[in-house]
Amino acid sequence: MNEIIALLGGTLYGLLIGIIPGAGATTGLVAIFSFIHLFGADPYLGVIFCMAVVAASTTGDTYTGVLLGIPGANSAAATMVDGFPLALQGKATYAISAAVTTSTINGLLWGSLVFFLLPWYTQLLMVFGVPELWGFMILALATVGFVSSKLWIRSLVAIAVGIVLGMVGTDPNTNADRWTLGWNYLGDGIQLIPMVAGLFAIPELLSGFKNRSKTTPRNNNDYWKQTIDGIKVSWKHKWLGLRGGFIGAFIGVLPGLGGAISDWMAYGAAVAANPKEQFGNGNIKGVIGPEGSNNAQKATSMIPTVLFGIPGASFAAVIMALFMYLDFELGTYDLAYDDKFFSSLTFGFMWGTAIVGVLCLLLTQYIARIAYIPYKYYFPILLAIMVWVSMQYTGGWEDIAILILCSVLGIACKEYKFSRPALLIGFILAPRLEALTYQITALYNFDTLIVRPIFLVIIVATVGIFAWGAIRKNRIDYA
Amino acid sequence: MFKKLILSAVLFVVSITAHAEYIMVIPQKPGGGTSVWAQIVATEMEKYLDEKIVLKHIPGARDIPGFNEFHNNLQQDDKVIMVSHGGNGVAFLQEEVDYNYADYESVGLMNLNIIMGIRTGTNEDNPSLAAGSGMVPEAFAMALLICGPNKTVDEYIACFGEHVTWVKGMSSGERRLAWKRGELTATRENPAAFKKHAMPTIEEGQARVWMHHGILNAATGTHSDDPNYPGLQLEILFEKRWGVAPSGDFYNAYKLVKSFRDGLQKALWVRAGNPNLETLRNALAQVAASEESMAIIRAKVGDYEWLIGEDGNKQRDTLMTFVTKAALLNLVKFNNEALGLKSIYKSTLAK
Repeated sequence: MNEIIALLGGTLYGLLIGIIPGAGATTGLVAIFSFIHLFGADPYLGVIFCMAVVAASTTGDTYTGVLLGIPGANSAAATMVDGFPLALQGKATYAISAAVTTSTINGLLWGSLVFFLLPWYTQLLMVFGVPELWGFMILALATVGFVSSKLWIRSLVAIAVGIVLGMVGTDPNTNADRWTLGWNYLGDGIQLIPMVAGLFAIPELLSGFKNRSKTTPRNNNDYWKQTIDGIKVSWKHKWLGLRGGFIGAFIGVLPGLGGAISDWMAYGAAVAANPKEQFGNGNIKGVIGPEGSNNAQKATSMIPTVLFGIPGASFAAVIMALFMYLDFELGTYDLAYDDKFFSSLTFGFMWGTAIVGVLCLLLTQYIARIAYIPYKYYFPILLAIMVWVSMQYTGGWEDIAILILCSVLGIACKEYKFSRPALLIGFILAPRLEALTYQITALYNFDTLIVRPIFLVIIVATVGIFAWGAIRKNRIDYA
Repeated sequence: MFKKLILSAVLFVVSITAHAEYIMVIPQKPGGGTSVWAQIVATEMEKYLDEKIVLKHIPGARDIPGFNEFHNNLQQDDKVIMVSHGGNGVAFLQEEVDYNYADYESVGLMNLNIIMGIRTGTNEDNPSLAAGSGMVPEAFAMALLICGPNKTVDEYIACFGEHVTWVKGMSSGERRLAWKRGELTATRENPAAFKKHAMPTIEEGQARVWMHHGILNAATGTHSDDPNYPGLQLEILFEKRWGVAPSGDFYNAYKLVKSFRDGLQKALWVRAGNPNLETLRNALAQVAASEESMAIIRAKVGDYEWLIGEDGNKQRDTLMTFVTKAALLNLVKFNNEALGLKSIYKSTLAK
């Protein structure tokens, strides 16, 4: 019974946070820190809740993208390109129905492949030693730096800034303070919550506030017809949706890449596959393509996150911190053999995806009203929650100061298109990369590394990513 | 309506604060090992105190700022209890900290032993072990056992560097995984964690119990063999291998650091003269006597020896007798030069 309550709670909360313009999965997950302690008695319920939030918010953010032209999270930005014009033509329900159907089917399909087989993947833990993990970290940084943005030099700068910030705290070599500028508060490092809240949540909230006046006409006429037409058109273009799902799933497995890139790639694939058609003016294929990708990407992002503790995307970084609070250390042997943990992950994501899909198809006319609530009502609430969760570390003014500094950094990155996911991934991976570098140099030498085939494949892949990223013209400029 | 809401909120806050009698200060973020321990102990103590215990987390670098805050500001409040762990004990010996165990009264503490395992087929004289400030006693133990008696600290430092692969930057999860994969040839755990993380590998025939530090007897000031792993205490193994018992300044430094870590593994403190001391000790004694409460604690944190009330103070006093100038100097030198851990000699501590 408690599991069902956690599932429904997470699904409804995720749907709500997904619908709020400028919020999305990452912001919604950060806000969970304010009440995560409620799961202290049974942390597995917390896992169910969090996974349901991920699944539901990913589907829910379609609403603001289509209805308001404001992506609930960056993963809905690609959907918005054709979804918003459809809404302006009075076909909002049609677009949402097609998006939700495609998103739900791909979420369930790829979720099945990931979560039911995840315990089997744990065998990789015994094959992936220190060198392979080290190589995987480098691969993550290379992909996020070179592939996630067409402005790859700015991405590299963002990674470098993230790494520097991630290394503030205690030097693992000497156990002494490092780069704390004499501020004792920083001895324990910059905390993840204000970093994520400042980098993502606050800039998106401000952006949503700026765009609060945009709306599309409400259209409750022929509601059921549009819903059924949306389902039918999803079936008609099922291969387009599945191709989007495949792209999302592939990008999700690569460590460090987020939803934006997979959605844009899926959108690009839809455009490329239909060269004679117009996009950007309300082509339903421009909705189905990226929507196939986003739930699939969320599912497969959990593979590197759970197995190796390397976040597959920004939301996964917050998931890692939340799970750590619940006493689950991702990427460890114990957790890999915790059946209840895996069944909680599966239960939360799969049922969360299914329930939110059904809710959205049946109740779109009511759910859509949430998106029309004036921004002034939930802006202060969300802002207060972000401040509150950021103060969970010490409760002092220092927490606020760090949040403000991170917010300034986030706003600047967004404004000048320095990749925030790249910065966050650099921040999170820096301490582990440094630690793994110590480990690889202590335990291995050239002769023992050269006989490890997986390590060599990862290194070759990393070099390939560097080369490919440097010469390729990427169209994605999400920051 | 609005007034009713405000009134309800005020009443709610008052109702919480009215029962928030005790504050347990924890020097780390929620979710850490000591936080989990404190949460459980506080919940059990509340049953016998008939008063609420509120947890106050004051995290910071190496879990020092929280204990400093207790020492400098919070201890004057008679309702404040400090929770410390073995890492605080080690930091007390070798880092700039404000807190001083001699200033407090022990409500109770947990005494434990740390067990080491080694993989079969590896050269015992060339082990690899995860590094960290919490591993200092293991580094001393390996140096003693591998390098033998009658050496200067410089000789121990050189010998340690030559024989031991000291792998920095591993979290406990990474360490356990590396042990299972065979990348690390040695590991160490507390008794509960050893059963969980090291014994499966041992039962598969891939490793064996190597040594342990022994259990401190506060009355005699000596460490005795652990009945769960008989004959494997460092002192016993050393004598078996080298024909003499370990002794000297380097051994004293080992005894000092292992005692402050393991002998103060989890501890509750209040300021000296705190009028609530006996109430708290009684509550803790009732927790220890309750099979139901102990079953809950054992299930989560393992089965350790509890020293409650004056026994806790005696333990602390015994530990203080190990603090000598020579032992501290050796500890700091070995930390800095063999392990690369920044440590300082605290002349104010030395007798």
